[in-house]
Amino acid sequence: MKAWVGVCGLLLTVNVCATESQSKLDWLKTVAFAGHQTDYSGVFVYQYGSHVETSRIAHVVEADGEYEKLESLDGPKREIIRHHGQVWCYSQHKMVQVESQQGKGQFPLMLPDQLSALSANYQVRELGQDRVAGYNTQVILFQPRDNLRYTHKIWVDTETGLLLKSAVLNDKQQVVEQYAFTELKVGGAVDHAWISSSATKNLPGIGQERLPLNKAAMSVNSGWVVDAMPSGFKKTMELLRPMHGKHAPVTQLVFSDGLSAISVFVELADKDEDDNEGLSSRGAVNLYHKVVDNHLYNVVGEVPPTTVMQVLDSIRYNGK
Amino acid sequence: MMKHEISALMDGELFEDEADALYDQIKRSPGAHSDWAIYHMIGDVLRQPESIHRDISARVHERLLNEATVLAPRSHALKQKARVFALSAAASLLAVSVVAWMSLQISPETAPQLAMQQSNIRPVNLQIQPKSSDYLMAHQEFSPSNDINGGASYIRTVTYSPEEKSQ
Repeated sequence: MKAWVGVCGLLLTVNVCATESQSKLDWLKTVAFAGHQTDYSGVFVYQYGSHVETSRIAHVVEADGEYEKLESLDGPKREIIRHHGQVWCYSQHKMVQVESQQGKGQFPLMLPDQLSALSANYQVRELGQDRVAGYNTQVILFQPRDNLRYTHKIWVDTETGLLLKSAVLNDKQQVVEQYAFTELKVGGAVDHAWISSSATKNLPGIGQERLPLNKAAMSVNSGWVVDAMPSGFKKTMELLRPMHGKHAPVTQLVFSDGLSAISVFVELADKDEDDNEGLSSRGAVNLYHKVVDNHLYNVVGEVPPTTVMQVLDSIRYNGK
Repeated sequence: MMKHEISALMDGELFEDEADALYDQIKRSPGAHSDWAIYHMIGDVLRQPESIHRDISARVHERLLNEATVLAPRSHALKQKARVFALSAAASLLAVSVVAWMSLQISPETAPQLAMQQSNIRPVNLQIQPKSSDYLMAHQEFSPSNDINGGASYIRTVTYSPEEKSQ
């Protein structure tokens, strides 16, 4: 509740004090802040192509950080629980820890330099008001300045600052993916039971603040570089990380333009691999993989297919 | 009147010029179209009573919805029609409110198709394979969409593909 009031306060400040161009970007800060600090639960629909599915989400801020649960309501049962940079995934009848980033998940990453990068790459426009799930929202459009990224459109609740609907559009203004809340509860009434429930307490890895060093991701200077990264994408992360079903750690480089990210994965190619090259997609995410000189490259990002392909084809080892 | 003619045509009782005129009429009249289909079904049932006794059009329709998109370029008008069709099919499955929200046009993965036209690669499957899900998960944790879209953006990592749905 306190956080909620805080957000309203922030919104008010945004509306009154900020300059024209700045205020549009401040919407993003508000959204990031509200998303992390507000207790909420709701049902949303996710759609890409002919695929439509419904999920329930609950987000609660406790003394030891944020807890978040995403639960599928259609199809096979799938569930994701996030807490403090740790991620568990329930799928195919088992719960496994899939991600553990120490010290992450604390607070918004909408830093000033990211916001300025964003306005260099996108034209930000306010498109007026609209109603989503019974709430009044402000619509904001992020139009890219080149065709190497997608257009993003978001609907932000004017009262809480929460994002209630989001659409990604291609250069023909066709929707690539979208999701929207159909039902939302903010504050007080959110069900906390699942946090203290035995299911959560028994999650593999919970309580262990640190994974053994050889299992945790490490920042490295890998020597891998990308020559044709689209302008405006800055490297935000370079890791040597363990991955499920991989014997050796995988190098991951992450680049962000403030709104979308591109990850580059490099590992030694499996000799048995017969799937040497291919482009695939899921909603706004495109993945291109290719085996080059005994190395398997995977490039993943919320960017158009041509962009992930361009990036992959310019990966180069520049180390010793 | 027309029903008799269709029946006669199917029995091979019309002359060629009469048949041609009737074909034209059938093409123009939706009612005649369905008569044509029904008469054929009746004929089929009479000939093979053990293999045809139910209407499978709904199931065929459902399978068609999950079918991979054809890569051939089409005229704009035709595409538009296909979308409306897909939407109306979805409406029978979903609450009306959900459909109202989908007022924005659906594009069935147009982007990957375009990219493929530009290059020579031919992926076996357009959908990201389950074996690649770990890359998606590893990517998602560092994407700015986490901050903007919150946990809902994780839906990308666990969404199921239409192939899984049928299992």
